[in-house]
Amino acid sequence: MIKLTGVTKKFGDFTALDSVDLTIPKGTSFGLLGSNGAGKSTILRLLSGIYSPDSGEVSIDGETVFDNTDIKQRVFFINDETVQFGSFTLNGMKKYYKGFYPNFSEELFEELREKVNLPANKRTDSFSKGMKRQAIVITGLACQTDYLLLDEAFDGLDPTMRIIVKRMLVDAMLDRQLTTIISSHNLKEINEVCDSVALLHQGKTLFNRDLDSVKGSIHKVQAAFKGEYSREDFEKYGILHYSRSQSIHYIIMKGSEEEIRTKLSEKDPIVLDLIPLSLEEIFIYEMEGMGYDAGQLD
Amino acid sequence: MFDIDLQSRIPIYEQLYKRVVEMTVKKQLSPGDKLPSVRELAKSLGVNPNTVSKAFQSLERDGIIYSLAGRGSFISESNGNAIKENARADFKTAVKDALSAGLTAEDMTEIIADTTSIGGTKLD
Repeated sequence: MIKLTGVTKKFGDFTALDSVDLTIPKGTSFGLLGSNGAGKSTILRLLSGIYSPDSGEVSIDGETVFDNTDIKQRVFFINDETVQFGSFTLNGMKKYYKGFYPNFSEELFEELREKVNLPANKRTDSFSKGMKRQAIVITGLACQTDYLLLDEAFDGLDPTMRIIVKRMLVDAMLDRQLTTIISSHNLKEINEVCDSVALLHQGKTLFNRDLDSVKGSIHKVQAAFKGEYSREDFEKYGILHYSRSQSIHYIIMKGSEEEIRTKLSEKDPIVLDLIPLSLEEIFIYEMEGMGYDAGQLD
Repeated sequence: MFDIDLQSRIPIYEQLYKRVVEMTVKKQLSPGDKLPSVRELAKSLGVNPNTVSKAFQSLERDGIIYSLAGRGSFISESNGNAIKENARADFKTAVKDALSAGLTAEDMTEIIADTTSIGGTKLD
C-alpha cells in the first residue's frame, strides 16, 4: 500500500505539492490526472525515491521511501523524459537492470523484445524516440516489481504496443497483485485502465475516488416545470452550471441520479431527464470550479 | 461477444453486467454455460481486471452467475428472479420516457396488449 500523509514539496518558492494525502491500496490501478504543473510527476518522483518531501511522509508498505534500497527494488519508474541510454545495447541494459532488480525476468524481457522487434545488439542511443520508449517499457515490465509508475507512459506508444502493455498489466495484476500508478492527460486511457483516480490541481488533490463513483457523481439535467423558475431557485441545490432555452432548464449539478430526482421533485417537473457527465466533462467542470477555465486561454 | 463501449458514460462494470443479463434473456447464454475468465475478458476488452471482477461479483451476488473455485464462472440455473428484476427496472424507465413523450397510460396498455398478442407469449 502506498501512503502519502501531509506531503509538501517545494522547488524554490514554487509549491509543487501542498500537504497532499493519498492512499493507494495494493493491486489498484490508479490514475493521476491534472493539468501541466499540477504535481503529478512530483508524486511519482517522490514514490520512486528520487525526491524527499519537505514535510510529511511518503511510505510504501509502511516503510519510508527516500533512500530506501529495499523499497526501490520493488518500484519501477517509467519516466516521460527520454532516458539517457548512452552506449548501452539492450543486452547491456538487461544485465544492468538484472543487477538491481531481484525479480528481473530474462525470459520476459526476451519475449517482449521479440514481440516489439527491437534489436538486442544495437546501441540504444541510435534508436528512434519510439524505440527508446519501447525499450524502457519492456525493461520496466521485465523487472517484475510490485509497483509500476508510468509517467505519461501510454502517450508515446503506438496502438499495438499499447495493447501489449495493457495485456501485460492484466497478467501482472492478476498474478502478482501489481499496483500501477499512471499519470496522464489522456482521459480515455485512464478510463480504460484505471479503477481509481485522483485529480490534482496546483499541488492539491481535488478528488480521489473510485472511478465508477466519480462517473455517476455529476449529472446534466434537462427539465421543464409547471411553475416559473429561474437560476436563483436552483442555487440551493449546489449547481455548477445553468442555462435556459425557452421552457427547458439545463442544469449541471452534483449528486447521484436518485439524489437529484428527489431534490427536483419538490418543484414538480413535467420533464426530467438526467445524463451522467463523461469523465472528461467532470474533469473540465471540476477544473472550472478551481478557476482553471479553458475558455480563458483563448 | 462482450461488446462494450469504452467511451460510454455508463461505467464499464455496469455495461458488462447488463450485457450478461441481455445475453441470458436472449438465450445466447444458457444455464451452465461458462463465461470467459476475468483475465480473458480484461485482455480482450483492454480494461482493468478489477473492473471485470466487480461485474462478476455483482452478477454472482444477484444470482445470475455462480463461481466454482479454480473452474470459472457459469450461468445459474435459477436466475429467473434477477432477470425479472432487471426487466422490471428497464420497463419502468421505458414507461417514464413514454410518459414524458406524452403517451397516456391507456396508450401504453394498448401497446402491451398488442405486443403480448403478437409475441404469442403468455404473461405469468
